[in-house]
Amino acid sequence: MSKICLQNVSLKYQEQNSSFCAIKDISVSINEGEFVSIIGPSGCGKSTLLSLLTGLNFPTDGYILLDGKQIQGTGTERGVVFQHYSLFPWMSARKNLIFGLKQVYKSKGRKEIEEIADKYLDLVGLGDFKNKYPSQLSGGMQQRVAIARAFAMNPGILLMDEPFGAIDAKNRVILQELLLNLWDNGNERKTVILVTHDIDEAILLSDKIIVMSAGPGTIKKQINVEFKRPRDRTSLIRSEEYTNLRNKLVGLFYDDLIEKIGGDEVVL
Amino acid sequence: MRRILNLTNVLFLATLILELFPSKRDGINAWYYIGLVLLLEIFYILNVILKKDEEKTQTIGDVTAIVYGVLIIWEIFTTKTDLADKLLFPSPSSILSLLISELPELLKGTVSSFQLLLTGYILALALAIPLALVIGWRKRLYKAINPLTKVFGPIPPIVYIPYAIAILPTFKAASIFIIFIGAFWPVFINTLNGVFNVDRRIIDSAKALSVSEGSMLFQVILPATLPSIISGATIGLVMSFILLTAAEMIGATSGLGWYVKYFSDFADYPRVIVGIIFIGVVVTGVTFLFDKIERYLLRWRK
Repeated sequence: MSKICLQNVSLKYQEQNSSFCAIKDISVSINEGEFVSIIGPSGCGKSTLLSLLTGLNFPTDGYILLDGKQIQGTGTERGVVFQHYSLFPWMSARKNLIFGLKQVYKSKGRKEIEEIADKYLDLVGLGDFKNKYPSQLSGGMQQRVAIARAFAMNPGILLMDEPFGAIDAKNRVILQELLLNLWDNGNERKTVILVTHDIDEAILLSDKIIVMSAGPGTIKKQINVEFKRPRDRTSLIRSEEYTNLRNKLVGLFYDDLIEKIGGDEVVL
Repeated sequence: MRRILNLTNVLFLATLILELFPSKRDGINAWYYIGLVLLLEIFYILNVILKKDEEKTQTIGDVTAIVYGVLIIWEIFTTKTDLADKLLFPSPSSILSLLISELPELLKGTVSSFQLLLTGYILALALAIPLALVIGWRKRLYKAINPLTKVFGPIPPIVYIPYAIAILPTFKAASIFIIFIGAFWPVFINTLNGVFNVDRRIIDSAKALSVSEGSMLFQVILPATLPSIISGATIGLVMSFILLTAAEMIGATSGLGWYVKYFSDFADYPRVIVGIIFIGVVVTGVTFLFDKIERYLLRWRK
């Protein structure tokens, strides 16, 4: 049985006289321990889809099964990392982890929770910054803390909504590697669903890539990424297989766009 | 040389030189006045020597220079030339000596005023903040209450004074009630709007952690709204002061507002001025403290 199963999921927003279809008829199944990326142009509903999986929104049609049960709302078995404001600005990095951990481990003592928090802050290399407030940390450091919290809470599923979207290119690579290391550290792998608009990020990290298209948001194609792990970024990028896959994804990604702008006149 | 002979120091010397001229008014003890000027200068020089922050020292120097300027003009028109009316415009020296001799009376008045002020103000905070948190968080309640706040919020609380005195048994209770009303609305309205405007993404983040309803309100919404709450509390504090003195001038038998009103009824203007200056000092002290608390509570902001 698949870990997550979406069956004919649609979400319509009712406005006064019209309705707007954000996503339409999406069916996907995701296995336990799988790393899945969702890519697509802006407005294709990829973030909306993630909010349905988070339990912040509910589908108007179809259903989403998690371990065979329908999603009733948010839950601590799903960890979430957003692009912005994953952290609470009035709590230090450490307090942010402790606050998250308290929601999961209601019976654990303060000391035990603090130990877990410190362990994960060390793991993401922020042991020396644990008492800083988010405003005192760089964007990349803030996302490290958010990732540390998500892993510390030890959810079966990790949902990430463009977590590295606002990070500069160099730090993005570092954070991607950090994420892969935490995910593939010998323990049972978490099921990860990552929304991104970065094609290279999707290829380097994922087992499966879901390409969406806009108006209304539907799945255009699902592509399995067969490169074996651990993946070596530099040699992989130079390989022909990588280039082929990348070209294929770029083609899928920009199809709509060319149609929308008017085809012939645009040469990419 | 320029560092020593700047405007502040020149004016300092001018105030001292002015004292060499004979006094036109009787019974002036200039030593209080000279003492004050010397204290100001010592404070300024200590700042120049000890402070590393150039700009801050400059500001302190400028403020001191303005104080000297005001003192010089005041002194010229009263003690030195007696151009101003003796009854309405007492000299700086007489005000200073009076301020010192009246200090016990003024402190007694402060205690009495603060009993009213703090009771009304803290009551307002304790009621307005939790109430606004709950109402702001419930969309339907917010929509029902918000138009009502637009009607009752802007009513100047002073108009409640006669009615409060009529319905409440003691003057004390009436004053506390008025101060409460004056502080309540700004805190309530600011908190309400603050809750309503909390960044959606912060709320989503908290929801994604599956926090309980209580945690959501008091560990997420409350701190996220804190900047709005504090700006409401600042307005509320100013309102409380205005209402406190207004109430005391109407019916009290003690307190700082009463002090000023009581002596103006006797045309004892030196004491009136002393009372006004002292109220200024007290308000400055309270605002300073409030500022420190605000900075501590919002230390997480950039």
